[in-house]
Amino acid sequence: MSESKWIPTVCYQCKAECAILARVEDGVVKEVKGNPRARGKMCVKGMAGITTLYSQERLKYPMKRVGERGENKFQRISWDEAMDIMEKKLRDLRARGEGHKFTYSMFPHSTTDPKWRFVNAVGGFISTGLPHCDSAKIMAHLHTFGCFPNHHIAPMYYTVPKGGIMILSGRHPFGCLDDACVPRDILNAKERGAKLVVIDPIFRTEAAKADWWIPIKPGGDAALFLGMCNYMLKNNLYNKAFCDKWVREGDMDGLKAYIKDKTPEAMSRICEVPAKDIIKLAEMCAKAPSVSVDAFKSIMYGNGMDWGHAWSILLVITGNLDNPGGQPLPEIAPMAQVKPVPPAPNLKELGYHRTGPNRDKFDHYNFILEPTWYAAQAVKDGALKVFFASECNPALSEMGSGEWRKAMTMKDQKGDYLLELFVVTEILPSETIKWADLVLPDQTNFERWELLYMPWWYNYGHTAAVCQPVVEPIGESRHANRVMIELGKRMFPEYFAFKDDIEYYDIELSGVNMSMQKMLDNGALWSPGTVGFRKYEDAGKFNTPSGRIELEWQMYKDIGQHWPSPELPLEFRRDEDKFPFILVNFRTIFLNNTGAWSQNNAQLRDPISGVDANPILINPIDAAELGIADGATVTVESSTGKARVPVKFTEKIKPGCAGIIHGFGQTMGKVASRGEWIGDNELIADAGSHLDEQDLRGGEAHVSTRVRISK
Amino acid sequence: MKQLSILVDLDRCIGCKTCIVACRNHHDLVDHEKAMPGFMSHYLRVETELTGAYPDLKEDYWVVMCQHCKKPPCVNACESGAIQKDVQTGIVFIDKNKCTGAKKCIEKCPYDVIQFDATGNFAHKCNLCYDRVVHGQEPVCVEVCLAEALSFGEREILLMHAEAKGKKLLKKRSTQSILYAKSPS
Repeated sequence: MSESKWIPTVCYQCKAECAILARVEDGVVKEVKGNPRARGKMCVKGMAGITTLYSQERLKYPMKRVGERGENKFQRISWDEAMDIMEKKLRDLRARGEGHKFTYSMFPHSTTDPKWRFVNAVGGFISTGLPHCDSAKIMAHLHTFGCFPNHHIAPMYYTVPKGGIMILSGRHPFGCLDDACVPRDILNAKERGAKLVVIDPIFRTEAAKADWWIPIKPGGDAALFLGMCNYMLKNNLYNKAFCDKWVREGDMDGLKAYIKDKTPEAMSRICEVPAKDIIKLAEMCAKAPSVSVDAFKSIMYGNGMDWGHAWSILLVITGNLDNPGGQPLPEIAPMAQVKPVPPAPNLKELGYHRTGPNRDKFDHYNFILEPTWYAAQAVKDGALKVFFASECNPALSEMGSGEWRKAMTMKDQKGDYLLELFVVTEILPSETIKWADLVLPDQTNFERWELLYMPWWYNYGHTAAVCQPVVEPIGESRHANRVMIELGKRMFPEYFAFKDDIEYYDIELSGVNMSMQKMLDNGALWSPGTVGFRKYEDAGKFNTPSGRIELEWQMYKDIGQHWPSPELPLEFRRDEDKFPFILVNFRTIFLNNTGAWSQNNAQLRDPISGVDANPILINPIDAAELGIADGATVTVESSTGKARVPVKFTEKIKPGCAGIIHGFGQTMGKVASRGEWIGDNELIADAGSHLDEQDLRGGEAHVSTRVRISK
Repeated sequence: MKQLSILVDLDRCIGCKTCIVACRNHHDLVDHEKAMPGFMSHYLRVETELTGAYPDLKEDYWVVMCQHCKKPPCVNACESGAIQKDVQTGIVFIDKNKCTGAKKCIEKCPYDVIQFDATGNFAHKCNLCYDRVVHGQEPVCVEVCLAEALSFGEREILLMHAEAKGKKLLKKRSTQSILYAKSPS
């Protein structure tokens, strides 16, 4: 065991992409750990990445479907044949003038992702889960103070001062969706004397460590924060000097007028947090040297934009922008473009979920990427013809997974599939590959090159990291990036004139006077400098059209959304008698949601080192009323789905809520397919057929679901 | 007395199980190709205790590994003399070459931490990463702990540090060499 054999690279067991070290012995990865030159931590998923790498179930060669979609019948083919199939279909699509009917479902690891370039060259769109997880938060912060956060940009907990308040609302950072250093940093802040406040219908690890757990009715976060803002403004507990200087003229008066009747008492009736607690939290935040807020599941509900708006307003009136312990305003270092740059098609004009019969419903709200969950509708509408997917599992991750499966198998009058080609790159068997026409064996992070460049990494001391292969690839696996570069060279040589992915990254890095080799020579990490604080003071402005903080969203005035509504999501306000429980689907540190590489990882589904059960959780108070026994298998039914699943009683959930972990339900792979567990998306409505208020109040958010439970 | 030890800070442990997998990797306990849930050895486990009723709840998390007992029952149970408590470190070792696979140690262990390798027919367990600590490194679980809830060192020094931080030793759980502490509530 030599120290010199620890190789710096990057984890990809989830999308946080922590900088790590891998110990390689005789060409085999033996150990991994966080890179102490970055933030030094790696979570259980990352530690178990070696099991993903060496699992005997790894997909090892390209396969072509031979039965019908869903039958899971494939035959081995060559890479050449796979490339020919993709090239032919995409050329055919473009010849028809339908390049925009190609979508690639992926999570771009970075603004540098070459797959994104390929998609632009075709004239299609990438679709990701990002709009769902983050769009309301991103758009709320962008609209209000011009910053671009996402769920990986946690508040910088290492900057929280003594007495600072850290609010987690429907957010589980101990589950490591952001950097693995975050649990440590939160606990360190607590040791410094910061206070942790957890607002959540479920008592989880974060609540166990909190100074105060506030159980809330799901979707009530906007009401809670508006009640706090009302109290602060009414009692002059807000940061007047900050607001006078930085808030757009007239907005404070507008806010005060709007919020006048949003009293703690009135808001308490919506969010079910006692008025005295709303006042107490408002007073705590007013007195504290800093307040940070982070949310995740709560921002996915159908009132996500209202919640994001109320949250942004609280940060502003307490002056908690770009200060130690407050909301960071990340910046992006100027990487060079690889020229010529393929032009991206116009999302608003051609994007599939904005061109279908429901176009009018989407005209109010714009996000920069296609969300994945209108894919089913787009296939039905004829707006999506060729679908590629990498590092995602839409068969389970799509809200309304039944509708998704239906769309994959729908045929026209001639008997041809409406979706003409579906290509999946994967590491381990996933539910999605069952529906694919081509399955391409992808590589793990231990086998591939990648430049990870994300502005949020900047928050933690570096902005770019190199993922480098530390072992030889398994079988004929190829990294999806390299596959798309090769396809790009065949189809668009003008845009893919660079030699390979490494040269592509080198060109990008030249913009910051850096190269892959220089990075590798220096520990595979690079940062332009430190994050800094209150950068708006240096700039003399915020990054908004007016240069000031814009509390009133004037662009939504015509639809009555210029101020945040405190109301719960529509789905929580109707059919309470028929479906008395609110479904609370949550995440754990052990699984990257539906991701096949964690669901089929034996260590992560081991009861000792992971999680291997996903019963529906209800409070014993509710259980007594239902007359069911702990551990019994029950029927859980929503307005669009139904499933049988074991029930577990727990004091750790608010009465009236039913909890379930997101991501189970896979029938593919010997590890994932064990147990009688269901995917939560069987119960959640398909977005395409259940639009309702989302576009107006929730942006792309869409998980608000009520259920009933019976024997 | 010479006794190396680990202090588990219940104020910080979040039950994330990172240590369990890192330990397996370091000690080569998993056949990654064929591994299946429920069939892998492990030198640590997470335990939890929930008290109270909704909405007034408290929950603690901690890890349990070999406690490197002061007078280890496993040593006495082993008829082949394969288990010893090392005088220099206080670490309890199983010599797998001497182990006959009788499993007496497993029966007698009050902490249920001894594993059995059916293929090699020997018992095995946490050795406080002896191969690391003699070279000045911490045990793997301590190094990788996500929440930095674990600290390593001489037992008496760890006790002193815990006391200096205002932590209270959980005496019922700390009767052997591994220490458990938290802030007084």
